[in-house]
Amino acid sequence: MAISFHDRSLISPLLILSKKHVTHQYFIQMVFIPFIVCSLLFIVTYAQGQDQTGEEIFFKANLAYNEGRYQDAIEGYHQLIRKGYRSGQVYFNLGNAYFREEELGKAILFYERAKILLPRDADLNFNLGYALDQTQDAIPKSSDFITQTFFWINNLNLGELFLGFALLNIVLWGILLIRLFIKPEWTYYGVMIFLIPWSIAGLSFGLKWYQVTMDDRAVVLQEQVNIMAGPHSDDTVLFQLHEGAVILHERVEDEWALIRLPDNKRGWVKNGAVEKIIGAAYS
Amino acid sequence: MTSRFRHILFLSMLAILILSASLGYGADITVTLTLDRTEATTVDSVRMKVSVSGVRESTSSPGIQGLENFYVTQGGTSSRVEIINGQMKAGVDYTYFLQPRQTGTFQIGPAELMIKGKTFQSNTVTLTVIKSDQATGSDKGPLFLVSTLSSNDVYLEEQAIYSLKLYIQANVRDISLHPLEMEGITLTQLGDAQEYQSIYNNQSYKVIEVGFALTPTKPGGYVIGPAKMSMTVLESRRRSPGSLFDDPFFHLTTGRPVTIASEPLTLNVRPLPDKGRPTNYIGLVGRFEMTSHLEPSTIEAGESATLTVQIKGLGKINLIPDLNIPSLNDTKIYADQPVLNVTKDRGGIGGSKTMKWAIVPEKEGQTIIPSLTLSYFDTTTHQYRTLKTPSYSLNVLPGQGQRDTPAIGSAKDQGADNTVKKAIKELGRDILPVHTSIKALSQPLSPTRINPMIGLILFGPLVIYGGVFFIVLFRKRSLESQTEITAKRAARKFSKQCRQDDLCANDLLLAIRDYLNEKLGLSLGAVTAHEASVILESRGASHEAVQYMRDIIQRCEDAIYTGQGQSPIVQDLDMVKLIKRIDKEIR
Repeated sequence: MAISFHDRSLISPLLILSKKHVTHQYFIQMVFIPFIVCSLLFIVTYAQGQDQTGEEIFFKANLAYNEGRYQDAIEGYHQLIRKGYRSGQVYFNLGNAYFREEELGKAILFYERAKILLPRDADLNFNLGYALDQTQDAIPKSSDFITQTFFWINNLNLGELFLGFALLNIVLWGILLIRLFIKPEWTYYGVMIFLIPWSIAGLSFGLKWYQVTMDDRAVVLQEQVNIMAGPHSDDTVLFQLHEGAVILHERVEDEWALIRLPDNKRGWVKNGAVEKIIGAAYS
Repeated sequence: MTSRFRHILFLSMLAILILSASLGYGADITVTLTLDRTEATTVDSVRMKVSVSGVRESTSSPGIQGLENFYVTQGGTSSRVEIINGQMKAGVDYTYFLQPRQTGTFQIGPAELMIKGKTFQSNTVTLTVIKSDQATGSDKGPLFLVSTLSSNDVYLEEQAIYSLKLYIQANVRDISLHPLEMEGITLTQLGDAQEYQSIYNNQSYKVIEVGFALTPTKPGGYVIGPAKMSMTVLESRRRSPGSLFDDPFFHLTTGRPVTIASEPLTLNVRPLPDKGRPTNYIGLVGRFEMTSHLEPSTIEAGESATLTVQIKGLGKINLIPDLNIPSLNDTKIYADQPVLNVTKDRGGIGGSKTMKWAIVPEKEGQTIIPSLTLSYFDTTTHQYRTLKTPSYSLNVLPGQGQRDTPAIGSAKDQGADNTVKKAIKELGRDILPVHTSIKALSQPLSPTRINPMIGLILFGPLVIYGGVFFIVLFRKRSLESQTEITAKRAARKFSKQCRQDDLCANDLLLAIRDYLNEKLGLSLGAVTAHEASVILESRGASHEAVQYMRDIIQRCEDAIYTGQGQSPIVQDLDMVKLIKRIDKEIR
């Protein structure tokens, strides 16, 4: 079939461009619009890809865990945390994966991190208890006056206490605001009723905030560590701790961390051998 | 209703509401009968209390059996609310004082009480009444101390009860007992001091009694005491008659320190006899009983049965050794931590020791548990005695090949429908699985750092309230200052109007009205002489100035009503001076 050179319908637009027969209208129709459409498609696809990435990583990590590829699962959960998915469930799953990999210290570390966000999660409490049962050191429990007196703050996370206090705060100040203009009797009783729970909620939130931000607990990550009298390798070994022991972290000097036990035994340990529960990685 | 009263009423109602909710409507009702002592003389008074728990108020008085041999005096009724282990309980206590009519041992109770149509019964108590051995004829005065010993001849480690009774007719305070210290004798106080009324030498006294368990640790002869008590005796001091302070209101008392002593007592302590001393005797002295039981008597191999042995009585309970079951073939024995319960009451130091073992036979057949023994020196018979548990036979049926984890006292539980339920066996342990829900990726709220949004939620309401408060305050102040300025200008404006040459009655009346409105923040349309005088008087103007103002307004009104309202009014009135005076006087 002979092709007529002037039959434009069959000629490629690029050829037309090269032939400089293109008009402004042609440019818009044939180049600009497809470019915009492609760009939008790319943006939408990219955006969807970004949303799905977290989910995909989560599902892949869970799949790896269920298939026994615990290192892949650990990498997946860490990737999620780096992307900002710092939920209690992700920390819990990571703790499980480390437990399966027989890294008891890291398992307890991530369970403890999860517990800050999910204090009432029954699975978490069971697994943490089970992991702590596997540890070798009998470390006495520290008696904390705050947690004994305000026992309910152990069962609520910081966000829940914040929401409770914020709600009471708005209601109480709202009623007080109304009383600046009109003073119906119900506002008096309203203030009296909300004042006590507002005070308790405020105090609880403050204490929980202090407890979470000032948490100096750390977990021993190595199988066995020597606790030295000073921050030097040739110092006297005071005592030994084993993987998973939850201790109190005081300060760091060079590569050494000063740690303390609830019964006030103190000593220095190589910094890498312990990790704080509320550390830079967590926050 | 004042604000404070309303506040108190509200808080009281809230407290009552919480209290009522905590008490619980269907709380268990229990009736308990107690005496403050188990032994008394015929001249003593004994306090008896019927405590009803689970009710908030008394409905009827209790009926108490066994009071035929006593003179009974009512000591009042009291309600109580107590918090035990975080649970609030209410109750009513009925107090009585008993005066024995004769000697003997009497059973008192039960007390019966009808509550909400149901009859509740208390326990019974026993009271031993002995004859009073008090001397007669010699008057010992208003204050004296008597010491008694339950026995003057005891064996080594045998308890004797040493009682000190302080008889008081005077008004005393700050009573203290000098410590009695003797080598070879241990004194242990038995409970708190008791107070009651008694008769001595035909005179009524208040008695404070303290009991001690006296345990000799070395044989020989001892002199106990004298015991000494110090106190302050309060004496009335009256002012001289006719003095300014000779009035009951100024009736003063002074304290005089007094120390009194009891008569010394002798005690002979005999060594424990060698005759009949068992080989396994470890020095236990007193009166003891031993009870034991094995539950269940038939089990499957691998299951556990519990053997319980309890030794209780009077004596040094903590000297009782932990009994041991000898090892048995094909049977595991797990000893539980013994439970020691030491009591110190008027009878002396005593208590109980309870020991438990979980016995887990591994093979079917009969497992014989040999008897366990304990030897002690009996202070009643003055002989050595050996307590023995029976030899138990445990019937073991064929098991399921797996041994139970021993659980003392919880081998099997009885279900509500009498079916035998087995303890749950833990076959393995592992962690629970990972969270797979996509909700796991939702970000939790964890406000560890104060960001603007959190700051806004926390402090926003306070800031808004503070802002609105200051705006309202500022506006209120502005209005007040506006009114103040207007009030200050009012006199000046009035003076200016009064200085017009052609001031008529109409204008003067209007000027007075405007002055009052502006000065006092009023909105009068017209003002009469009566109204003006009432207003000015109420604001503190002097009677003279008010009267003068009243006259002026009256004259203006007269001029208006006689058709001369527009004519210039005679200017013999010093209006400016009057207004200045009123301006100073009124608030």
